[in-house]
Parts: sequence; structure tokens; C-alpha cells
Amino acid sequence: MTTHSYLSRRSLLGLAGLGVGAAALSACGGPSTTSGSGSGAASTDPNGPSFDGVQPAKQITFWSNHPGNSEAVTRQIIQKFTASTGITVNLVTAGSTYEEVAQKFQAAQAGGQLPDVVVFSDVWWFRYYTQNSIIPLANALKAAGVDPTDYRDGLYADYQYAGAQWAVPWARSTPLFYYNKSDWKKAGLPDRAPKTWAEFAEWAPKLQAVAGAGQHAYEHPALADYAGWTLQNILWGYGGGWSKKDSFDITCDTDQSVAALQYVQDSVYKGKWAGVSNKSATDDLAAGACSATIGSTGSLVGIQKAVAGKFQVGVGFLPGGPVSQSPVCPTGGAGVGIPKGIKPENQLAAAKFIGYLTNPESTVAFSQATGYMPVRKSADTSSLLAANPLIGTAIKQLDVTRTQDYARVFLPGADQEMAKSVAQIVTQQADVKQAMSSLKGTLEQIYTTQVKPHLA
Amino acid sequence: MSNALAGAAVARRPRVSPRILREWALFGLLAFPNIALILMFVYRPLLTNVYYSTLDWTLGSSTARVIGLDNYREFFTGPDAATVLGTTAIFTVTTVGGSMLLGLLLATVLNRRLVGRTFARATVFAPYVLSGVGVGLVWTFIFDPVTGVLAGLLRMAGLGSPQWFLQPDLSLTMVIIVYVWKNLGYCAVIYLAAMQAVDRDLLEAAAIDGAGPVRTFVSIVWPLLSPTSFFLLLTTILGSLQAFDLIRIMTPLGNGTTTLMYDAYLQAFGGYNRAGYSAAIATILFVILLAMTVVQLRVLERRVHYA
Repeated sequence: MTTHSYLSRRSLLGLAGLGVGAAALSACGGPSTTSGSGSGAASTDPNGPSFDGVQPAKQITFWSNHPGNSEAVTRQIIQKFTASTGITVNLVTAGSTYEEVAQKFQAAQAGGQLPDVVVFSDVWWFRYYTQNSIIPLANALKAAGVDPTDYRDGLYADYQYAGAQWAVPWARSTPLFYYNKSDWKKAGLPDRAPKTWAEFAEWAPKLQAVAGAGQHAYEHPALADYAGWTLQNILWGYGGGWSKKDSFDITCDTDQSVAALQYVQDSVYKGKWAGVSNKSATDDLAAGACSATIGSTGSLVGIQKAVAGKFQVGVGFLPGGPVSQSPVCPTGGAGVGIPKGIKPENQLAAAKFIGYLTNPESTVAFSQATGYMPVRKSADTSSLLAANPLIGTAIKQLDVTRTQDYARVFLPGADQEMAKSVAQIVTQQADVKQAMSSLKGTLEQIYTTQVKPHLA
Repeated sequence: MSNALAGAAVARRPRVSPRILREWALFGLLAFPNIALILMFVYRPLLTNVYYSTLDWTLGSSTARVIGLDNYREFFTGPDAATVLGTTAIFTVTTVGGSMLLGLLLATVLNRRLVGRTFARATVFAPYVLSGVGVGLVWTFIFDPVTGVLAGLLRMAGLGSPQWFLQPDLSLTMVIIVYVWKNLGYCAVIYLAAMQAVDRDLLEAAAIDGAGPVRTFVSIVWPLLSPTSFFLLLTTILGSLQAFDLIRIMTPLGNGTTTLMYDAYLQAFGGYNRAGYSAAIATILFVILLAMTVVQLRVLERRVHYA
């Protein structure tokens, strides 16, 4: 016997009501759709909120990923800050990478518990600006008694947009050329980094001749390890770039850029003296899998510890190219900033902490522990250089750095798209021109749909 | 006349007894917390996600623009859809097939009287209960072409290591291997339980009739395992389509391993911050999961042989 169930009018109305209720419920919360997609960031006072009559909070939270294994030294600085001001700082490990901190910070924007200070990498702060999630810092730094003119000009200027300062430099780095001195000696090379990539192409066969099985003269940084950052060096050396300087005009498919990336591809497939790191090129250097690579200054102390007793590591400026020999070194690393959606008391305490975290003494202690750059002009680096002379090379290189291409740091997801395109070139021997033309289309679409509407 | 109609209406609607009302009240009391939690934490996010999929919304931004079905249109007309759907299909088919096949083979072995059988069963099942993040990290070290265990073994044999993390095909293969390794214990244990429930009389009868081990397995055991296979097919497909932790840990860029699930993650959290577009991908994944479940329940279940 079969039974039939009929949908009665009452059931139908009930279901309809349930559906309408569920739809209404689902529309609750989340973003507002009444004022368009503009963030309104551009209309913010470029000096930020006023702190007249505001007293700093007694407790704040700092979200970090501890770049360069900096948790211990950060805690030491926090202890001194608390002893000096009475403000306690809760240091939270908000992820192991800048991206993980960013995920958490952006999720917190949707209603979670916001931190009072947060680490911003070079590719993230601009997104927070377009999302109207952070405050301009001029008034906050003034109220906290921080002298902004003492920050190294280039590093401080990296966080400026629309006439406002959105973060201050903290764990700042540049790429460095790292090499294995023992391999250099075996190959009969002078004890220095190559001045140009052409010179290194002459050296590489000599290094390859003395290399062990499976070892490369050079290893390109891992694609997942910010390949778009370090490759700016060779792009600029050849007169190209991901985009035109200080512009969103994408130039990754120009003849100069293609020539630069053709050199990279040829080093792998024609010269066969270069490989591509799977995980971390500096780890591979320490493991003896390559004789040279490019890595962050923030890796310096870690590499020195890893190679201790095995071989001596040398460092030098990044090589130049046929068009430009200087400046061909991008700045990088991270700064710290203050969220918009927290109380003024917390913002003021956060500004005081930021000032202390990056003051001349703290920045030297931080550099000594990690290899990141001292960010203050008045920092006394003599003890730092005495303890680790190689840091001196990194500091000197700061004078010949160049601000990164907008396409890499200001376009959401550009780093991933660059890594995917470079992967095609160096792991699948794709046609460089085609890969770059395709990348240009992708980057332009990202700019048009995700960045341009948010700009003034 | 009106009294007669009212009387008829009363007669048509029998009075609910206090006992039934009490039972309904008890039912409501017991079921309400669960129903409320399911509505709040399952159906509300589901509907919210569908709503978000109609927005041009950057994660972290307080404002968004309603764009209707544009996110879906972009996905299906974009250059990545074929790759993502293809990767999802390859990953699902190989991991489901691999886990079930190897699980069945292992269950067959473990069903015999072996020395240390209990230890072997526990060992086979252990990876399934381990953290995916931990498993991913350990296998990342094993596959590392420079410092990894596998590279060391290959070097001892005079061979170079494949570039597991650079070549998209090899990356996908690597993740599939680890996923199958982690999940085959689950299939093995379920199959083993089902094998042990097979009626011994049937096996003895087959033996008396002269059936060998292969014939017995094909004609007796396998048909009786069909409800188990059906259950495993359903659960492992759902699991594979939602695989995330191993892919995230072993191939963070998703180079060659971007399944629908991982694409949804990458679009929202992997640097692109496109929460609306990510929600559209998640909705597509939900529809695929729902369709596959319905098809399995409606079509495949008819072929299942229940003892």
C-alpha cells in the first residue's frame, strides 16, 4: 500500500514563512550594502583622530607572527615598556606568517575582538587602508610623544598614502645576497657578491664545477616565499618591473621585464646552474644544497646559527643588471599600526607602545636578535656591528633601496599571481612573454575591480 | 443550521488528548536545544553564505555591493574554473578510490588470524585520528627534495628527488598519497567490521561447493559488503570534497592542488580577500555535494544488497 502526503495550504504558508525568516536571518550581520563598496578611507582626516583629553589605557593587545623568531626579544622589550609606563601588553601569536595574522585581523573586522597593535607586512597595510580598518598615525604619534622624523626616511615613507601615515616601520628588511664562502674559495672566486647578474652568469659554471651532487650554484627563492618580492631586483636591473615606478601601470610584459625573466628561466634550463627552492632557499643554502641565494636580512641571524661549524656565510648587495646597477634592492618586511575600531584610550596606549617598540634602543636589540634593520636614524649601531659585522652590509644597502612596485604591494593577491606565473616559467618552461602577458591581464583586472573603486 | 455545522466541524477535528500534548511538549523540550543549535550554526551560516555570494565584498570591509549572480558567472566563465573543477575531480576520484581499495585489501589481510593482529589494526587506524596539520608537516619533511627522508633514500640509490613542491602534477600526487595514507585506516576498519559480520555458514557452504578464495570473495563477501561500500563511498566522497588541512599545510599556494574547497579558502583568505566570490565557490561546492549525495541515495542505493 502506498501512502501519499499532500502539502496543505497551512504547511505551504508555514514553509514560506520559514523561508522568509531564514532569508531575513541570513541577511542580518555582515557588510552594509547601503553605501556602495567605497571604503571611505580617502575621506578620513589624514592626521587621524584627535587624542585631546584622552588618557591611555592600562592594558593593550599586540598581534604578531614574531618575524625572524622575535618572540623572546619582543617580550623583553614589552617588559621594559611596562616597567616604564605601567601599561601591560598582551603579546598574542596571531599566526606564523604575515598572511595568517592578516586572516585573523580581517576576520576580526567582522565582529571579533580586535587587537590594539597589529603587525602589517608590506603587502597588507594598503588593503587595510582601502578597507578603512586602520587609523592615520600622525596625531596618535604626536600625542604619544614619538618623533616621526627620527625614523629612516625611506622606511617611514613606505607606509604613506593619500597624505597620511598608516604604519611605522618595525621588522624591516631588504633582500641580501648570501653565499657559501667555502664554495667561493673552491671555485677561485673573489670573496664578494657579484656586482651584476652577468658577472654571476660567468661565475656560476665555475661554482657548478666544484658543486656536489644535486647542488646548484644558485637557488631562486621558493615561489611561496614571496618570489615577487626578490624578483624585483632582477626586473629593475633589466629596466623592467611588475609595474611602473609609483604607478599602477602594469609593465611585467615589457621587453625589459621579459628579458629579465628570460635570464631567470635560462639559468634553470639553459645554463642549468640554478634551481628553484621548494620551501626555503636560505635553509637550502645552510643545508649545502646551493652555493648562493637571495634571502631576507631577517634570515641573517638564523642562517649564521644554522651554518655555524659547517662553513662561513658571506653577504653582499644584490647584483645589478644591464640597465641599472643601483638602486635595485627592494625594501620589505613589516611595520606596526593601529586598528580603527578600538577605543581612543587603547589607540593612544598603542601609539605609546609602538613608539617604545621602535625606539633607538629597542630597534637595536631587535636587530641584534633577528637581523632586521634598525629603523631609527639615531640608533647606535656600533654594538650591533661589533657583534655581527654582516648586519653592516645590510644597513649600508638601505642607502640604495627602492620602494616596491605598486603592482606587488597594493594589488590583493598579486603576490600569488606572480608566484603562479613565475612557477610556469621556471618549473614548466613556459614561454616568458605569454606568461607575463597573461599575468598583466590578471593584475589589471585586480586593479580595476578591487583597488580602483576604493581610491579617491 | 449553524449549530449543526459547528457540531460537524467539532466532529471532524478530534480533541487532542492531554497525554499527546504532554508528549509533544516533552519532544519539544528535548529537541529544541538541538534544533536551535542546528538552525543557528548550520542553516544560518549556509543561508548567510548564499547571501554573501551575491555581493562584491572585500573581506574586512564594512561595505559591499550587491551584484546578483556575477560571482557565479565569473567563476564559470573564468580561466580557472576548468582547472579547479578538474583538480577537484582528480583528487576526489583518486583519494576515494585509493582509500577504499587499499582499505579493502588491508581489511582482507587483517581479517586473517595473524600474530600481532590487534597491534596491526591499531597501527592501520592510527593515522586517521591524527591531526591533519601534524600529518602534513611530517610528510612535508619526508618529501622535502633537499633535506627530506625520501630524498635521502633516493640519493643512496643514486637517484635525484622529484620536485614535489614545484611541479603541479607532482604536488597533487604528493597530497593524494598522504591523504590516502591518512584515511585508508578508516575504510579498513569499517570493511573489517563488515567482513567479520559475514555469516560463516555462507562461507562454509561456498567452500563445500568448491569455491576458491577469489570466487568466495567475488560471489559471497563482496555483495554482502555492498551496504558498507555504499556507506564508505558516501562518507569518503564528502570528506574528499571538503579536504583542506593537508592541502593547506603541504602546498600553501595551491600550485596544482587548488580544489573547489581550497579555492574558496584562497579567494577569501589567501591574499585575494574576495569574500563574496569565495562564498559563491563555497555555494557551488555545496550544490555539488548535495547533488552527489542525492544521486548516491537515489541511484546507487538501489544496487546495494542488504543481507
